Amino acid sequence: MIVSTDWLAEYVSVSAPVDELVERLALSGLNHESTSSVGDDTAIEIEVTSNRPDCLGHIGVARELSVLFGRPLLVPAPRPLETGGQAAQSVSVEITDRSMCPFYSARILRGVRVGKSPSWLVNRLATVGIASVNNIVDITNYVMLECGQPLHAFDLASVRGGRIIVRPAQAGEAFEAINHRRYELDPRMCVIADAERPIALAGVMGGADSEISDTTVDVLLESGQFAPLAVRTAARSLVLASGSSFRFERTPDPAAVAWASLRAATLIMDLAGGRLEHGVATAGELACHDTTVALAVDRVSEVLGVAIPWERQQATLTALGFTEQTDGADDEISLWRVPSWRRDVTREIDLVEEVGRIIGYDIIPEDATIAARPVADTRRQEVTRQAAEVLLAAGCCEAMTRSVVDEVLDGFGSPWTSEAAFTISPPLVRGADRLRRSLLPSLLEARGHNLAAAAPHGDLFEIARGYLPAAELPSEPQFLSAVVTGEFAAAKGLVEAVFARLGIDPSGLTGPPPRVSYRPASHPLLAVGRTADVILSLAGTPSVRAGVIGEVAPNLVSHFNLGAAVSAFELRLDLIEPVKVSDRSVTRPSEFPPVERDLNLIVDEEVAWASLASAIEEASRGLLEHLSLTQVWRDEARIGPGRKSLVVSLSLRSSEATLSGDEVKQVIDAILESCTQRCGAALRG
Amino acid sequence: MDLESFVLEVSRLRDEAESAFREVRSAATLEEARVSFVGAKSGRLKAIQKLLGGVSSSDRPEAGRAFNELKQAVAALLEEAQDRLAAAAASPEAAAIDVTLPGRPVRLGRLHPITRTIREVQGIMARLGFECVDGPEVEDQWHNFEALAIPAEHPARDPLDNFYLNVAQGCDPLLLRSQTSTVQIRVMEAREPPLRIVSLGRVYRPDTADATHYPMFHQVEGLLVEKGTTMAHLKSVLRLFASSFLGGDVHVRFRPSFFPFTEPSVEVDMEWGGRWVEMGGAGMVDPAVLEAVGYDPDKVSGFAFGLGVERIAARRYGVADIRDFYRNDVRFLEQFG
Repeated sequence: MIVSTDWLAEYVSVSAPVDELVERLALSGLNHESTSSVGDDTAIEIEVTSNRPDCLGHIGVARELSVLFGRPLLVPAPRPLETGGQAAQSVSVEITDRSMCPFYSARILRGVRVGKSPSWLVNRLATVGIASVNNIVDITNYVMLECGQPLHAFDLASVRGGRIIVRPAQAGEAFEAINHRRYELDPRMCVIADAERPIALAGVMGGADSEISDTTVDVLLESGQFAPLAVRTAARSLVLASGSSFRFERTPDPAAVAWASLRAATLIMDLAGGRLEHGVATAGELACHDTTVALAVDRVSEVLGVAIPWERQQATLTALGFTEQTDGADDEISLWRVPSWRRDVTREIDLVEEVGRIIGYDIIPEDATIAARPVADTRRQEVTRQAAEVLLAAGCCEAMTRSVVDEVLDGFGSPWTSEAAFTISPPLVRGADRLRRSLLPSLLEARGHNLAAAAPHGDLFEIARGYLPAAELPSEPQFLSAVVTGEFAAAKGLVEAVFARLGIDPSGLTGPPPRVSYRPASHPLLAVGRTADVILSLAGTPSVRAGVIGEVAPNLVSHFNLGAAVSAFELRLDLIEPVKVSDRSVTRPSEFPPVERDLNLIVDEEVAWASLASAIEEASRGLLEHLSLTQVWRDEARIGPGRKSLVVSLSLRSSEATLSGDEVKQVIDAILESCTQRCGAALRG
Repeated sequence: MDLESFVLEVSRLRDEAESAFREVRSAATLEEARVSFVGAKSGRLKAIQKLLGGVSSSDRPEAGRAFNELKQAVAALLEEAQDRLAAAAASPEAAAIDVTLPGRPVRLGRLHPITRTIREVQGIMARLGFECVDGPEVEDQWHNFEALAIPAEHPARDPLDNFYLNVAQGCDPLLLRSQTSTVQIRVMEAREPPLRIVSLGRVYRPDTADATHYPMFHQVEGLLVEKGTTMAHLKSVLRLFASSFLGGDVHVRFRPSFFPFTEPSVEVDMEWGGRWVEMGGAGMVDPAVLEAVGYDPDKVSGFAFGLGVERIAARRYGVADIRDFYRNDVRFLEQFG
């Protein structure tokens, strides 16, 4: 809303400089956007919140100033002279759907001279950014900007059949607006029609063939109430917002319907001559709200936290137009009748805000105390932080990519579901309308951008939601995902480190559950034969798939131009969160020396490391401190086809004593036997 | 050649060798001297040995002795120079390194600046007794609108102003939440006051992406519901927050505003860099919201406030275009210590 200081002075006289004026307005609810000079006038652009349609006219803003600066408010009382016939006989008005238009009134002026507006009118409109059209149209705009009630003037000669019918538009009905563009209407919109066709889109814009022109002699002046929803639907779906639609969407002062009509009639006769017929042709009933609100005398202090004398509260509300009722009032509670222009005030708390905003929130103290309360981090905060620490230590940067992706990224699939992604409307950004089912495509895209820009590296991780189809609300797993340089083991090493940081043994070999294991798997996004599921096994519950690890599939590597080997993982932090071990009690490090042995075991090609490792671990009588694979080799001539040799280093240590040669031999023999029985392993000389 | 000339040559060569090897200070000059005097092909010792053939046979034993003495003397000089260099090399001074060379690089990962800001806000609020809560990003109409006093037909529910999903719950279309207040409703529905929570996360509004807008952004919202809560508590908590976040004793200013779920509603300005900077919105929880979640507004009251994370992070780090937060360029991310 732009206001002219010259225009405001019509209703209130404030001597304060403009800067002070805008500051006071801003601190009482009308935010300042800008100030500029237009000729001799000053235009102030203010932001009016949607609950304050009263400030969408100069009188409303002047009222705020009159209250803030303690100056009287002067509002003109239009009393135009009515001569000639009865408006109700010149035109008939009917409303077919009161939910779209509760009330409609038409006033008739005959014999007007359409022409230029006087300079004061042209200038004031210019200050607020409105170009002059002709005296009649300018007056309707002027009165709207004065009191917030939109008006429309029709050339009476083009209203066919002497009828005004306010009705829903018909499906597909065509309408040409005064901007000379044609629109196709639908029944959610409301039109003003004559006996034959729509002549205005109600509350939004008039029609091209009923507008005021140089040949207009008789004028039908419309002032009505139109429902916000129908107006908004029309303005938005036709992209046809206007000063009128903006105001009707916010419900103007019902008392202004009649006032604006009289005010405009007066101005028309002053500036364009003509005679005003008696009365108005109307249909419907003016939708009013006669509200009385109770205010407890200590309520304002209870909410604001500072005492404000009752007399000051009374004076403030009275100045704003509220009237104190004596009926039903008592010492503790006072009743206030709400002025017609403040439809937003319906409850006690609304009156509290009125008092507070006018007196100013600066009086609220800023040293009130609140009691101390203990707070602990949530498990999610803890897990998120610890997991991020691992990735940061490994040199990865945290990325934030969009939750919604386009068809291409979504089309690469997800390791978590084969069901179609949810879509949204409108798209988040161009083409991005699918809620992502995995973070990996977005991270690979970001990696590709980094490589293309010759950034130092493209090792990225992200902790964010995915959105998987589910019965009610979609499930929103919390993913930790990363893309890093290197083959499978690079990503797996990070996964193991994350589990270790969360107190979960990543090797799956020792200790009580939770345990982690890795199974060959096949998923979209990841390379065939080089992908694993991460399985989390818990005591007493079925194990769950808590993640995937793999080398990135060749089609993605080439799509994103990733060049060298890149591996990735995606973990379900939401599943890992409840399992995280916070405070496991520690084991004292042994004081005794370890015994180290290398075993060269020959097994069939199919034997997985994990099964050999668990065969060793289970036979080691709790003495196995460390186990690693140091070498793998194959030699058909020496160990036969389909066989491989695994050189295994193990370290045995007791927490109770130095292991004797005999003890070591017994354990090693048990390990070898276990390996032979469970994995068909043979010891190579 | 007569004996006298030969002996003279030998003696001259010896003098030259002495001075050459004494002046040796480095492996390179040592090698140079070695090649010059005892080189197998064109060493000067070799050359003088050839002259020996020209000495008459009678003088040859004498000349041969002189040559042998020379040869031993040169060998001794060479050895002495080598020892001297070796001794010098073994000294700590000689083993000194160029300390200005860079260290072996350790690549540091960096937290995203949005995460850093969120953690900082969380940390400050935790010290004020606010616990962190979490909720879904895909929401229903009740939590995103109705419970927040945004009724059907309210412009805020317009399909063009929200990201509605292609699925509905019953006949209620789901949407991406437009504010984290939804989480506050969920917590209030599940728990009784007193309550101090801070909800944070991604929210979505159809703004065209530009330097100051992005259709996906992060909000942090605080909520306190306790008996006897006033706007003075709100202002004081925000002042404590501002002072912790910005450092020093920071004042806050309230400007009246309008939000459906708070009343009174205010915009919050904080003094930053010598001027008032808008940090977010706040207000007293609207009694209608308290009623919607089953609280009695006559018994408890509360306040809520919300901050746009991108906005404060952009200001703090001098990021001119908030889209940079989502480009994930490592050259950008690595600037955040």
